[in-house]
Amino acid sequence: MNESDKSLRSALGRARYLGSARRGSQDAWLTHVSAAALVLLASGFVLMLLTLLNKDYNGVRAELSHPFPAILTLLFAIVATFHMQLGMRSIILDYLHGHAREWALVANICFASAVGLACVYAVLRIGFV
Amino acid sequence: MASSDPTSPLPAARPLSPHLGIYRFTLTMAMSIAHRITGAGLYVGALLLAWFLLAASMDASAFSYFSGFIQSIFGRLILFGFTWALFQHLLGGVRHLIMDAGYGMDEPEREQMALATLIGGLALTLVVWAIVVAAG
Repeated sequence: MNESDKSLRSALGRARYLGSARRGSQDAWLTHVSAAALVLLASGFVLMLLTLLNKDYNGVRAELSHPFPAILTLLFAIVATFHMQLGMRSIILDYLHGHAREWALVANICFASAVGLACVYAVLRIGFV
Repeated sequence: MASSDPTSPLPAARPLSPHLGIYRFTLTMAMSIAHRITGAGLYVGALLLAWFLLAASMDASAFSYFSGFIQSIFGRLILFGFTWALFQHLLGGVRHLIMDAGYGMDEPEREQMALATLIGGLALTLVVWAIVVAAG
């Protein structure tokens, strides 16, 4: 017995909003939302980095210990690594197939998570240690 | 047509799906490709951000190792490329958001927007690096 026999939904209702790939619109939506956030976060982060020019080790740490630069850096690192994971995911899905695709998807999540968590760890360590 | 005969050993003479090589070069195409390439570059370049923050979170020698790298010619070249990729990708992303909202896809606007991302990305990169050089 297939799904169409036991479901009360019409055939059109089941097919609607599913493109030829049937899934993936959520990835595209999250990419857009994080992109919009990153326009502000990346601009703010670059401006903050410019205030760090000519600062030495202690100066950089003092700046990054303040709440505003620290939270801006945390937000930027989290949203950027989330966004880049989605972007690389769509590159992998476009160009790789079979086992290479599976391994690349796993490696992508590992790399993006590791970079993101390293940034978060470092900012918290600067602020609290 | 003889070649559409399924028993014929010759390949059918139907049109093939167009491939990369046959498309005429356009600015909008180049900016679309640049968006993906700069995105992939930023993906790898994110390691620089993690290195910078981790170095600052550790001791002074770890930080001086990082700042020694970033102030070398090679390090500055990488950081310059990262800056350009960031602004090119940022403006390209804004362009895609505008087009996904349904605007700017007609003849003059789409070329102007593609050109604006190219010029704007280079201009913002030069502004930031002018500040860097001025700060010494």
